[in-house]
Amino acid sequence: LAGKMAVAMVKRCCSPLFFFRRLSAPELTVSLPYHKKVVDHYENPRNVGSLDKNAKNVGTGLVGAPACGDVMKLQIEVDEQGKIVDARFKTFGCGSAIASSSLATEWVKGKSIDEALKIKNTEIAKELSLPPVKLHCSMLAEDAIKAALADYRLKQQDNDKTAHASN
Amino acid sequence: SWLRRTGMFLSKEWLWPRTVMQRSRVACNKMTFCTVLKKLHCWKCEAPLQTPPAFFCPACLVIQPLDENINFFDIMDCEISFALDVRKLQKRYMHLQRSLHPDNFSQKTQQEQEYSESQSALVNRAYRTLLKPLSRGLYMLELEGMKLEGDPGCGLSLEFLQDILEISERLAETQSQEEASDIWHFVRGKLENLIGEINKSFSEGDLNRAKVLLAEMKYFANIEEKVKDKVSQIQ
Repeated sequence: LAGKMAVAMVKRCCSPLFFFRRLSAPELTVSLPYHKKVVDHYENPRNVGSLDKNAKNVGTGLVGAPACGDVMKLQIEVDEQGKIVDARFKTFGCGSAIASSSLATEWVKGKSIDEALKIKNTEIAKELSLPPVKLHCSMLAEDAIKAALADYRLKQQDNDKTAHASN
Repeated sequence: SWLRRTGMFLSKEWLWPRTVMQRSRVACNKMTFCTVLKKLHCWKCEAPLQTPPAFFCPACLVIQPLDENINFFDIMDCEISFALDVRKLQKRYMHLQRSLHPDNFSQKTQQEQEYSESQSALVNRAYRTLLKPLSRGLYMLELEGMKLEGDPGCGLSLEFLQDILEISERLAETQSQEEASDIWHFVRGKLENLIGEINKSFSEGDLNRAKVLLAEMKYFANIEEKVKDKVSQIQ
């Protein structure tokens, strides 16, 4: 009953607005068309999914962009030679954020940790032709790579410590 | 001649931004500068206007240009407060738009039509910004020179982001109406809680806390929108 009352209240509040809708002046809405590379990554995202976050050779980066309410998870799997052999991501956000993280996983694969650290947001933005208002999406992807690498390194240090302790 | 025509063009003072004509910057003392608003006058009959926002001339009733920098709370005749009376806001909005809408000015001069268009658009913007708690709170932060943009962390914890990721995954994967409804109730509960806390933070003057809470609210508001999309998808 409370739910029904709430709906009735909402309707009562909104009805005069609906009636006077013509009162509001028409406003210009600007929608930016996405570049075809962004659309491609958005429609066919590469490497979506998760790796085992508890595995010692997996680093997980979780970052957010509060201004848009986006959240991005990027994971890397590193082999014994220190090479990134696999990468996965999950992003809840706009097309540019999804494309940026999808591209980031493609780029980190096959790189060493030091090489991956050098990936810059400007390169991601350039590859996807992101407009200035979407540059922060590429920054988020760079932050996610850095966070994943930092998490991996932390795990390796802990690993070394426990190895030392057991010796 | 070209020079004379240009001279005439420049002498038409209504072509200049009003702020140039109306505002003058004077030194209050050695250390601070402040903007003093000169008494405004009607652009048509020169009668003095009321304190801003003056939508119409009290003498000749002609529509006036508005200062774009005017505070939204002033436009909507509300106190600067997060706990705002939404019914009062809606009443004020309809009252203003009834008199300012461009349709009322189709028989008037070009200039009056332009003033009505810009005023009406400004009132729309003010109304929409103050109507929803999230945009209202963010606007209040903006008035204090604070923004979520450009602050990557915004003081959010990793645990918070993990929770958001988890609930977003649950929502993306579910095909059941019931689970979507569960998530909606959960998110609504969170939003209601946050509104209470944000109100408290603003009334205590704790803007940093308000900022973190508004960042959290932005996330939950996004998920609320996605739940709506999901529910219509499942149906």
